[in-house]
Amino acid sequence: MTSVVLSRQIGTSCGPPDFLRVTFSKLYKRISATFLFVLITTFCNGQVVNIANEITEAAEMLFEDDPGQGSLEILFDQLHDLAENPVRINSAGESEIARLFFLNEFQVQSLAEYVRSSGNILSVYEIAAVPGFDRRSAELILPFIDLSPGDTRAADPVRFRSSLISNFIISPGEKEPADTGLPFRLLTKYRFTAGRLSGGFTTEKDKGEKMFDFLSGHLAWSGKGFMRKIIIGDISSSFGQGLCINTGFRTYLSPAAAAFPSSGNRIRPFTSTDENNFFRGAAVHLAYRKAEMILLASHNLIDAATAFSEDSSKLFTETFYKSGIHNTLSSIEKKDALAETSAAICSWYNARHIKAGICWSGSWFSLPVRADLSDPGSLYEFSGSRNDVVALHYSSMLGRILLYGELAMNDLNNYAMVQGAVLRPSDRLGVNVLLRNYSPGFTSFHGNGPGTSSSGSNEKGILGAFTFEAAKHLFISAGCDLSSYPWLRYRTGFPSSSRRTEIRIRYVPSENLSADLVCDMKYSMINGDGTTGLPEIDHILNRLIRGQLKYSPGDKFTLATRIDFRIVNPGRSTGMMMLQDLVYRPAGVPLSFWFRYCIFNTGGWDSRLYAWENDLLYSFSIPALSGRGSRSYIMAEWEIGKIAEMRVKYALTSIRDMYNIIEKDELKVQLRLRF
Amino acid sequence: MGSVCIMKTGFWPSFRNPSLLAFNSSLSAGFNYENRFNIGQLGTRTAALTIPSGKASLGALYSHFGYSGFSRSMTALACGLKFGEKMSAGIQLDYFLEKTSGEYENHHSITFEAGLFFKPADNVSAAIHLFNPLPDSWRRSAMPAAIRAGAGIGLSRVLFAGAEAEMSTGGILIFRTGFEYEVKERLWLRAGFSSEGTSFTFGLGYLFKSVKIDLGFASHEKLGITSSASIIFKIK
Repeated sequence: MTSVVLSRQIGTSCGPPDFLRVTFSKLYKRISATFLFVLITTFCNGQVVNIANEITEAAEMLFEDDPGQGSLEILFDQLHDLAENPVRINSAGESEIARLFFLNEFQVQSLAEYVRSSGNILSVYEIAAVPGFDRRSAELILPFIDLSPGDTRAADPVRFRSSLISNFIISPGEKEPADTGLPFRLLTKYRFTAGRLSGGFTTEKDKGEKMFDFLSGHLAWSGKGFMRKIIIGDISSSFGQGLCINTGFRTYLSPAAAAFPSSGNRIRPFTSTDENNFFRGAAVHLAYRKAEMILLASHNLIDAATAFSEDSSKLFTETFYKSGIHNTLSSIEKKDALAETSAAICSWYNARHIKAGICWSGSWFSLPVRADLSDPGSLYEFSGSRNDVVALHYSSMLGRILLYGELAMNDLNNYAMVQGAVLRPSDRLGVNVLLRNYSPGFTSFHGNGPGTSSSGSNEKGILGAFTFEAAKHLFISAGCDLSSYPWLRYRTGFPSSSRRTEIRIRYVPSENLSADLVCDMKYSMINGDGTTGLPEIDHILNRLIRGQLKYSPGDKFTLATRIDFRIVNPGRSTGMMMLQDLVYRPAGVPLSFWFRYCIFNTGGWDSRLYAWENDLLYSFSIPALSGRGSRSYIMAEWEIGKIAEMRVKYALTSIRDMYNIIEKDELKVQLRLRF
Repeated sequence: MGSVCIMKTGFWPSFRNPSLLAFNSSLSAGFNYENRFNIGQLGTRTAALTIPSGKASLGALYSHFGYSGFSRSMTALACGLKFGEKMSAGIQLDYFLEKTSGEYENHHSITFEAGLFFKPADNVSAAIHLFNPLPDSWRRSAMPAAIRAGAGIGLSRVLFAGAEAEMSTGGILIFRTGFEYEVKERLWLRAGFSSEGTSFTFGLGYLFKSVKIDLGFASHEKLGITSSASIIFKIK
């Protein structure tokens, strides 16, 4: 071989490392001691099921690199709930299958129809053959389903089961001077089920907060007759496409998606930590023959910034504060500053080929909301003390075509409309089209329809995509989303437009090997820099190429290698990243290990890259990687018999600039008890 | 092969990815000389030894780069372990010493590198290699870390082609691709391309009984030609 043996660049030294903290070595010793203790004291208990691993992969499939953190918390929460209480697809009940909230209605109806006509599904491989599914979507639902025969639950005795999860997260040395509390996050979740009755509570203390400032709880009862569900306490709800009500996760508009899930008509206990987007009160789900209804009433205190009017005679709400973090004096002032009373009535009818419904929701605020009309961007923002939204929703399955849509209005001028179609001309080809139009003044405080704009208003768009099984084991999907924004947006002082195109190629030659290639191109417009008066227009072109290879040489190992390359114009800022994942589950011991090493180099924040990480249960981590450096983590899970589970994660980010190396570390510990 | 070697078993690749060491079944010694851009001061001299021992194999390497004004030497001990015929893992401990004349201090560092090799199919091989995945706060001076991953395929009994990607901290993504063709028994031709410096490579190797001789040349878009020669003795 002519290969040169020693060609590594060792690099010049960067000066004495006075700037580096010594926390890593201390923490490393502690973690090492923990692992050693685990290894010594562990006892054989069979193979650990790494459901959290599957959940992270499922979430990444659904959300990709959308950093919409609020939605992600809810998404992870719902995925974990599903994993804890898997869907019995052989029940053939559409409402049961629809609990797989990330499926679209075509898939739900198709799966229910398949079970009704062909009998119980015996293998997950059978699901890939159901119309509307392919291997990827079958893999996606795999961790969340139960293939036991449909009538087994009826025979289950009433058993009291409960679980308690506690997360402790600390980033040493990252205490902000303005923080009023200690620099760690503590989360506790308790859930119990006893037959049809369930309940639980969630408490959270965010990093820098003084104490637990968020407490959420619920009691729920589920039935099968007229009374389907009653929830008292904190509630999450959704209807139709989510224009009127959707406090669950928001549909991510991936341009190459085979279809989009609907928000669905449902109420469920709220167990997440989004402190400002849930209902607190009571809700009931009723059903009579093919008609169903949801009634909801809520009174909740939410965060807001308030101010007096010019003559100091009235107190107004200036802005809503949605981060949920109360670590500074100003953010503590905003906590629970506003009382919101909400009510909703939603009813729908399930005919053979069509489902249609109507929903009304109203919100009343204790202090009137006043938009800042001196800012043209706020011209269409909501002002007043009350907001009502009425929505009509339908979905219809006509052979191999699913049509769905929703029209919502919050006064005669402000409306929102979504119309979509999913076509399956053949088993190997799927077409997905979505049209949307949100007027600039449309306001729904608990709505969250599909779209690219975070406000849920001021957007028009059309998206078209296809998925095609081009050859055996080879899947190609591509799509384009065109959006326009009739009024001003954040950092965009003019009506603007955007375009996103995506091509995905997936090759799955065997069960233990898969290769993915993604090409993504985004065009958008923002204000130009450095000009006075009317802003110039900067046309941003953001291109990303991503390649990923996953391989499982056996039951014990899973390896994944990924490369990302991004170019952002103007400025030709480039970002590149290469990462290596290793998951190891030793045989005979109830331990699992995750390891990642990632190196990145980006020209700036605009060309930053995102990499999903495995994390604690009910938690997620998607660090934005920017600058020159590395990010690595190691995580261990110990299944302590059937009653407990412990996870420890240590992550380290190292960033190099011209003269210094800055290291940031983070330690996460989780204990879950089941009893 | 454009320095594509982390997934191709052999003597020198065993020190680029220590998991490949497990596939060295004979006691061998090798010597290599590389002359970068035909500048004498940029020469690298390397000596290495592989020692098979059941499922595991051991290796040792010493390399010296530079001249009296600046030199860098590397001493490495490596171990590769087979997990069946389709997978192996390896680890290598490295000691680096940089000497600089004049008032500058010498620098020395210890680090490690590790690799995995596996064969998803009979004619397909793949490998992953990590170099220095340690925090910089553990040492006095910074040293870059690197990830490399690659895959190769035996297109026929005499033709092997591979590609790999590498990224190091502070560096950019580098792609390499190359092939090795056995022209006739015991004679190999190699060629490749590396995106680092837009470099094309060409090489050949010949096996005389238990002695293997290799010659290699690599171009650089601005700096010229790098040439290298190596000899490997199969002792036992």
